[in-house]
Amino acid sequence: MKTGFFSSPHVKRLAGCMALAFVLALMIGNQEGSQDDYGLAFRQAIFSPRIILFIVIGLLVFAAMTFWPYITPYLLRPGVRPLAVGGITVLVSQTLLKWSDDGRTGNGKFNSVASKAANTDGLAPMAKLFFSNYLGWILLLVTFGLGAAAILISLRALAWVAAVLGVVGGIWAYTSQAAVRDFLGTPDHSTGGGVALIGYLTLAAAALATALATGDIADTRAFVNRLLAWRPGMPLVVLGLIVGVIAFVQATWFSPQGSNQTLTDTKTFFQGNGLANLAYQYLAWLGYVLFIATLLTAAAASYLRHRILGWVAAGLGAVALLLSLITMYDMTDLAAAAGVDGATGPWQNLGSGAWMACAAFFVLAGAGLVVATLGARDEQGELAPAEAPAARSSDTLSRGFSAPGSSKVFLFVILATALFYPPTATGFWQKVLVSEIGIYVLLAIGLNVVVGWAGLLDLGFIAFYAIGSYTTAYLTGALPFKPPSFLHLSPLLAIPFAIAICLLAGVALGAPTLRLRGDYLAIVTLGFGEIIRITANNNPGNITNGPKGAFGIPHPRIELGPIKFVWGQNNLQYWYLLLVLIVIVVLLFRRLEASRLGRAWAAIREDEVAAQATGINTTRVKLLAFAIGASTSGVAGVFFASQIGYINPENFVLNNSILVVAYVVFGGMGSLPGAMAGAAVLTWLPEFLKDQVPAEDRQMWIGAVVLLMMIFRPAGLIPAKRRAAELRGLNRSSSAEVGAVPEGEGMGVRA
Amino acid sequence: MTAVHDVANPGAAPQTRDVVYDIDHVTLRFGGVTSLNDVSLKMYRGEILAVIGPNGAGKTSLFNSLTGVYHPQEGNINLAARVGDSPVSVLGQKTHVINHLGVARTFQNIRLFPALTALENVKVGVETRQKAGPIAAMLGMPWQRREERESTARAYELLSFVGLTERANELAGSLAYGEQRRLEIARALGTDPGVILLDEPAAGTNPAEKRDLADLITRINSEDGISVLLIEHDMKLVMSIAHRLVVLNFGEKIAEGTPEEIQKDPVVIAAYLGTTDEDDAAPVQADGTATADGIPPARGAHRSANEGDANEGEQS
Repeated sequence: MKTGFFSSPHVKRLAGCMALAFVLALMIGNQEGSQDDYGLAFRQAIFSPRIILFIVIGLLVFAAMTFWPYITPYLLRPGVRPLAVGGITVLVSQTLLKWSDDGRTGNGKFNSVASKAANTDGLAPMAKLFFSNYLGWILLLVTFGLGAAAILISLRALAWVAAVLGVVGGIWAYTSQAAVRDFLGTPDHSTGGGVALIGYLTLAAAALATALATGDIADTRAFVNRLLAWRPGMPLVVLGLIVGVIAFVQATWFSPQGSNQTLTDTKTFFQGNGLANLAYQYLAWLGYVLFIATLLTAAAASYLRHRILGWVAAGLGAVALLLSLITMYDMTDLAAAAGVDGATGPWQNLGSGAWMACAAFFVLAGAGLVVATLGARDEQGELAPAEAPAARSSDTLSRGFSAPGSSKVFLFVILATALFYPPTATGFWQKVLVSEIGIYVLLAIGLNVVVGWAGLLDLGFIAFYAIGSYTTAYLTGALPFKPPSFLHLSPLLAIPFAIAICLLAGVALGAPTLRLRGDYLAIVTLGFGEIIRITANNNPGNITNGPKGAFGIPHPRIELGPIKFVWGQNNLQYWYLLLVLIVIVVLLFRRLEASRLGRAWAAIREDEVAAQATGINTTRVKLLAFAIGASTSGVAGVFFASQIGYINPENFVLNNSILVVAYVVFGGMGSLPGAMAGAAVLTWLPEFLKDQVPAEDRQMWIGAVVLLMMIFRPAGLIPAKRRAAELRGLNRSSSAEVGAVPEGEGMGVRA
Repeated sequence: MTAVHDVANPGAAPQTRDVVYDIDHVTLRFGGVTSLNDVSLKMYRGEILAVIGPNGAGKTSLFNSLTGVYHPQEGNINLAARVGDSPVSVLGQKTHVINHLGVARTFQNIRLFPALTALENVKVGVETRQKAGPIAAMLGMPWQRREERESTARAYELLSFVGLTERANELAGSLAYGEQRRLEIARALGTDPGVILLDEPAAGTNPAEKRDLADLITRINSEDGISVLLIEHDMKLVMSIAHRLVVLNFGEKIAEGTPEEIQKDPVVIAAYLGTTDEDDAAPVQADGTATADGIPPARGAHRSANEGDANEGEQS
C-alpha cells in the first residue's frame, strides 16, 4: 500500500510543514551568493546547524495542526490570549527592538546590549545581573512557562507566582535599560525596555486571569466590559497614575550635553539661572502637588461617579498640562539662550519626562471629562423614561464595548499618544509620522467613504490627491501657469479650492462611469488615475511643468491679526497640523456615517435593486460618495504639496492608489478606526522593517503580513459591524426556510 | 360567508372608481418571448387587487413593469398613486422616481438589507423622503437632527404596526422568515406610498403567520387607505382579503372580477386544471375546507405556495 501511505493526509501535512520550514530557512538571512560562490545562500540555509530550528518549527506546526482538536479546549481557558500576546511582546522587544541607541552597544539589540553590559564594570549591579548569563531570556521562559503550566493544570498558586514574576520581570527589564542609558549618558530613543515592561505586565495579567478565573472559558470582551463599566474613567486614572509616576520619578526632563536629568535634577540645574518663577516653582514642588491633586480628584470623581468632581479634575488637569508646557518652554528657551548643547529652540533637547507628564495630565483630565459627561446622560435618561425606546441608539455603528463611556476611554488614550508621543520620537520617526503615516491615514479615511461605505472599488484614488496638490501649486504660483493676482493664496487658503475642484473632478469621473459595477468601475477609475498622471507629465499648454513638476510651493502659514504662525522645516509642526485635519475629518465623517446618507450607502452596498425600489436615487448617492472621498484626498494633496514644497507626477503613480486600497481593506472596509489603523500599521511596518530585514525582503514580509491578515481576519484589523455581518452572511444561516424560496426573480437582467 | 371573509368586509375600505394604475394594452417581450401580451387592467383607489395565475403567467413581469424595472415595448401605464395626483406615465421612468411617485413594493425573494438592524431598514425607507444633505449631516445641523429623530420615531411606529418593536435592534438578516416578510412591508410603508405592491408576501410562511399577514394587509388597506396590489398563490388568503382578482395565464389576462366570479369562471378553472370539463367541482375553495392551500396541485400547472419554490424566473 505504498500509494496509500503517500496519500495519507498526515504524510501530506508533514511534507507540507517540512517544505514550509525549508522555505522559511531560505527566506531568513542571506539570500544571495557571491560572484565566486553562487550556492552560498542555499548552503547557509540548508546545511548550517540553524536548519534544525526551522525543522523544529515545522514539526511544531505539524503537531499543532494534527492535534488541534485536543488543543482547542485549552486555548479557550482564561488567560491564554494575554499569555500569548505578552510572550510575543517580550520576545519582540528582545529580538527586534533596540535597547540602546548608543554606538558603543553594537547594533543596539537586546543580545548585543546584554553581552556588552554583562562585561561592563560600574553598571548598576541589578542591571548587570539582568543582562548577564542569559538571565533576561531565562526570566521570560520561566514566567511564560509558569503561566502556561498554571493554565494547563489549573493551579492557582502557580498562577500567582507567575503574576509576581511578571511584574518583577517587567520592572527589572525597564530599570535595567534605564541603567544602561544612564551609564552611557547619551540621548536615547530606544523602546526595548518599555515594550518589555508592557509585555511582562501582560503576562502578569494573564497569570492573574488564570488565578482569579471562575469558569473554564474565557470571555475577554465581557471581562473588559466589566472592567470599563465598574467605574467609568477608572482605567484612565490608572493609566495616568502609571505614566505620571514614571514621568515625575524616573524619566528624563532635560538632557543637555549627554546628561539625563530627572525632575529633581533639573531643579538644581536651573536654580539661580533666571528661570521664570512659576516654572521654577513647578520644578521645585508645584508639579508634584498638581499631579497628586489631579490624580486624587480624578480617582475620587471616578469612584464616586461625581459630576462636579469630574469637572474639577478636568479643569485641574488642563491647568497642570498648561503649566507643564510653560515650564518646558521656559527651560528650553533658557537653555537655547545660554547656548546649551543641542537646545536650539523651544522644546528641543528634552527627554520624554515632560511629555509624559503632559500625557498623564491629559489622561487624568480625560477621566474627569468621562465622568462629568457620563453623569449628564444618565440624568437625561432618568428624566424621560417614556421616550427611551425612541431615543435609544440602535444602529449597527455602536460597535465594540458596550460599557458607558468606553469609547471615550479609548479616544483619550489614542489622543494622548498622538499628542505627546511624537515630540519624544527621533527625527526619523517624526518624518515618517508626517510624510507616510499621517498623509496615508487621511487618504485612507477618504477612500473608506468610496470603497468601504459605498462599496465602489476605486483604483485611481491617488488622482484626486494629485489634483489637490497641483491645485495648491497653481494657487500659490509655483506652476509656470500663474493664477490671477487676487487668487494668489497661501496653502491653507487653498484647501477650500482644492475641495471644490476635487468635488467637481469626482463628479466628472463619477457621472458617466457609476452605472458600471464592480470590476468595470475599477478599471475605469484605474484609467482615470493614469490619465491624470500622464497629463501632468505631458504638460499640455505648459501648465503642469511636465516631469520637472512644481517647486517652491510655500509652507503653510496663519496670519490672523495678532496670531501668526509659520510652518518651517520641523516635522513636528506639520504633525500637529495634520492631526487637526484628521480630527476634523473624522468628526465630520462619523456624523455622516450615522446619517441617512450613511445608511443609504450601506443599503446600496447590500442590495442595489432593493435600495432603488425603496426610493434611493442610487446614482446620486454614489456620486456623493465619490465626491466626498475625492475632496478628502484633495485636502491631503494640499497638505502634501505645501509640506514637501515640490511635487512631480512621479508622486502620484498607480502603486500609491493600490496601496491606499490595501490599507483600507487591511484595516477593515467601512470602519473609520479600521481604515486609519490599517493605514498607520501598513505605513509604519516598512519603516520598522528597515532595521530588521534585508532591504530586498521588505516587501515580501509586508506581503506575508497582509496575506495572513486576510486569511485569519478577512474583515480587517478593526472590522466594521455592518461589513462583518455581510461577510458572515447572516441571512443565509438564520432560517432554514429561506432555501425554499426561489432565488431568481429576473431582476438582475434588464429587458 | 366565512370567518375569513369577515376579516375583510368590516374593514370597509373606501373603494372608489378613482383609477390608481391604468394599464393600457401593455406588451413586454424578451427577445422572441412575449412575457406580457396586450394586458389591460385598471386598479382603483382603496382596493385590494390580487393578481393570480400559474407559474410563468407573467405576474412578476407585470410588477416589474409597473415599478420601472422592465420597460414594456407597447402600451402605456399611467399612475396616480395618491389622492389628487394627476395620472403620469411610468414608462421609461427610473425605479426610484416611481417610488417617489408613491409606489412601494416588496419582493418575492426577500430583499432586505441584512446587515442593518430592523429599525435601520425601515429608516432607510422613511429617510428617502427627507431633505437634509450630507453637509447638514456632517455639521449636525438642528434640522438634520430633527429629521433623524422624526425618522426614528416613524420607524418605531411602523415596526409596532407590523409587530416587530421587540426586534428593532436585531440585524434584519437574523430575523425569522415571517418577520423578514413583515419588515419588508414596514420598509415599503416607510416611503409613505399611495399604492403598495406585494409580491407573494405569504410564500414560505406558516398558517398562523398567514393569518397575521392577511390581517396586516387589510389593516394597511383600511387604516392607511393604501391601495394594495397583491400577487399570491395561497388561494385561501387571496379569496379572503382581495376585493377583486385578475387572472393571468401565459402573459394574457384571462379573467377579472370579484372572488366569487373568479371561482366560478370556467376559463380560470381550465387554466388551473388544464381541463375544459365544467362538471368538475370548483377547484378554488374560498373557505379552505377542501384543502389547506385552496387549489389542489394539478397536472404540473401549479404548485402551492407552501412548497414555496414556485419558479417565477419566467422568460427573463
